[in-house]
Amino acid sequence: MTSPSFPSVPSRVSTYLCELFWQRVRALLLTFDAGWRLRDIRGDAIYYGVDGSNPGQSVQMLRDLFIGLSIDEPQDLPFVELPNGTSAHLHLIPDRDAFHVLLLDAAAERDRQRATQQLGNEQALASQAKSKAIGQLKQIRTELERQHAKLEEAHALKNALIATLSHEFRTPLTSIFGYLQLADRRAHGDASLHEALHAVRRNATYLFTLAENLLEYGRSDGAAPLLNPTPVDLDALAADLDAMFRPLAEEKGLDFRVSLTIDDVEQPVFDEIRLRQILVNLLSNAVRYTRHGEIAAEIVWRGGELSAVVSDTGIGIAAAHRDTVFMPFNRGGHAGRKGAGLGLSIVRRMVDQMRGTLAFESEVGRGSAFRVTLPCGRERAAAHADDAIAPRFWLQGRSILVADDDTDIAHLLEALLGDLGFRVRVVGDAQSAVVEAIAGRPDVLLIDVELSGLSGNAAVYKLRSRGYKGRIVTLSATATSEAREAALRAGADHYLTKPLNVEQFVHVMQQAASAGWNGGGDGSVGA
Amino acid sequence: MNAVAHKLCMLGDFGVGKTSLVARFVHSTFSEKYLTTVGVKVDSKEVALPGRAPMKLVVWDIAGRSQLDSLNMTYLRGASALLLVADGTRERSLHAALNLLMQSRTLLPDATIALAVNKLDLVEQWEVAPAALAELRRSLPVHETSARSGAGVEAAFADIATRLAQ
Ligand SMILES: Nc1nc2c(ncn2[C@@H]2O[C@H](COP(=O)(O)OP(=O)(O)OP(=O)(O)O)[C@@H](O)[C@H]2O)c(=O)[nH]1
Ligand SMILES: [Mg+2]
Repeated sequence: MTSPSFPSVPSRVSTYLCELFWQRVRALLLTFDAGWRLRDIRGDAIYYGVDGSNPGQSVQMLRDLFIGLSIDEPQDLPFVELPNGTSAHLHLIPDRDAFHVLLLDAAAERDRQRATQQLGNEQALASQAKSKAIGQLKQIRTELERQHAKLEEAHALKNALIATLSHEFRTPLTSIFGYLQLADRRAHGDASLHEALHAVRRNATYLFTLAENLLEYGRSDGAAPLLNPTPVDLDALAADLDAMFRPLAEEKGLDFRVSLTIDDVEQPVFDEIRLRQILVNLLSNAVRYTRHGEIAAEIVWRGGELSAVVSDTGIGIAAAHRDTVFMPFNRGGHAGRKGAGLGLSIVRRMVDQMRGTLAFESEVGRGSAFRVTLPCGRERAAAHADDAIAPRFWLQGRSILVADDDTDIAHLLEALLGDLGFRVRVVGDAQSAVVEAIAGRPDVLLIDVELSGLSGNAAVYKLRSRGYKGRIVTLSATATSEAREAALRAGADHYLTKPLNVEQFVHVMQQAASAGWNGGGDGSVGA
Repeated sequence: MNAVAHKLCMLGDFGVGKTSLVARFVHSTFSEKYLTTVGVKVDSKEVALPGRAPMKLVVWDIAGRSQLDSLNMTYLRGASALLLVADGTRERSLHAALNLLMQSRTLLPDATIALAVNKLDLVEQWEVAPAALAELRRSLPVHETSARSGAGVEAAFADIATRLAQ
């Protein structure tokens, strides 16, 4: 290697240049022997934070900088920040059995570069944050639009509901008033007063049924209602239907007939309110959509099965509407007439609940016939009794790990879960929850989000990022959809909010416990 | 007796928290303010290892880049360990970390490696999905860390130190 030479200048100039350069770069030169023993130190030691009289620490620092590098070759480390905050370009220059370490000032250059870099990085971060925020805003907007549409739909539904309500209430109310008038006129101790008052009661029952319909409709799908099977007096039921609908039918000039055939000696057992609701809904539709002809209800109790056919000679249902007649507020159901309302959708739902079948035949302009068959509710009654204890039965022995740092809540959860049949283990912080969950593989991990220290979400994330496959339920005091989504994104299966809704809590725990570790994978987890 | 010293380089995109992790590890401090690193800053800390002589980790906090440039290469020479750092709230920074890992492999084929996914305290804003890390764990040790709260920081460095000692 040829060493670079200065152009031939007077030696005074070259000395001057040398001094100038030495000053400008604030050079510090340290000379070491091969064992890193300091031989000589020249230049601005103080500027670099090197204590010339006791350089031990600085030497160690410099030594650390060249770990893994050869001291037999020149080394060049630009922009090294020193403990005192200055920045230096470091050079190692081998020199036979010794070497030199040369420090040149880089602070000004570093500051300039930092200013540009800082600006660039901050802009990049800001633009990333901006595009993320825009993305989120877009999402929020879509969500808002979706909710808006849902609200409009709900609004329309509500209006339709009210319209239906008033519509459906009008007829029986008319009847009630009619009978009341009658009762008024014959008020003096006549036996028919008795009958009139009966009629009032029946119609009140009818109203009650309608109200039940609405309630039934409003009930969420998730919470399946309990059936209440009791022995049913079919004669009384048939008589009630007759008394309820005959006046309505006759008022419209229709023939009306209720027939009852009882072949089984055994008494039928059904959820009577639902059974009545089914028949009342079918008959009230029949009366509403029939202008002339007849309406008939044939009820048969045979072979442990109740069948009922309600037929009319009304306007009928077009083939195009066959699939939609059982939908709530379907308008086209009966040849485009308004006010079809809830009746058939409720019938459908109840028949399903009672594990029966529902079918119909119809021809536009000729009439319709709806056939319902219901299996006797006796076994259902028994099965139902089993249902009630079943969850507890299969939660028995399931294990759950509870992580909550509020001891009162932890105790409450422990008691509740113990009652459900869980084997409960409680820990007080998120990190222990991670360790215990991986070690103990509980069927369910129930973890509070707002834990001090590591948050519940972070713990869930850590578990999932280690391939943890068990069910995780998070519990939080924040009831916003963002909080919920964040928890689910971190890997929770369910999100519950405080204060606890016990029914929902039990439901979720049952769901989580029954899913268990069947979520897939081999379930093995690395720490 | 002097503890054995090992050079550990922090590599990752800018702003992911390399400087903050070192500050947490070495000085137990944290600053919300972002001051980008130019070049490199070297710090060291002695790590006690159960049943072994203590080890000195010489930590090189290198300016953040999404690609290895020649300057980074200069700094990497002689390193025996790499702590790749990504920011959980920026999925891109994870790609950058993996990219850097690939590029540095040729230079340091035998280096002990770990990945720190930082800013765990902001887990609600993370773009990196848990499943992605579960997948990565098959091929390299992954630590979720928070320089801010300190979670996982000690463990990440201890993991590297332990493996260096073997
Ligand atoms: N919330 C949170 N913020 C963090 C964390 N770690 C770092 N930060 C912040 O992130 C920003 C960048 O942190 P730095 O440590 O400077 O990042 P760096 O990787 O060294 O960046 P460069 O030097 O530019 O490569 C700073 O504002 C820090 O306060 C963390 O664990 N949690
Ligand atoms: Mg930095």
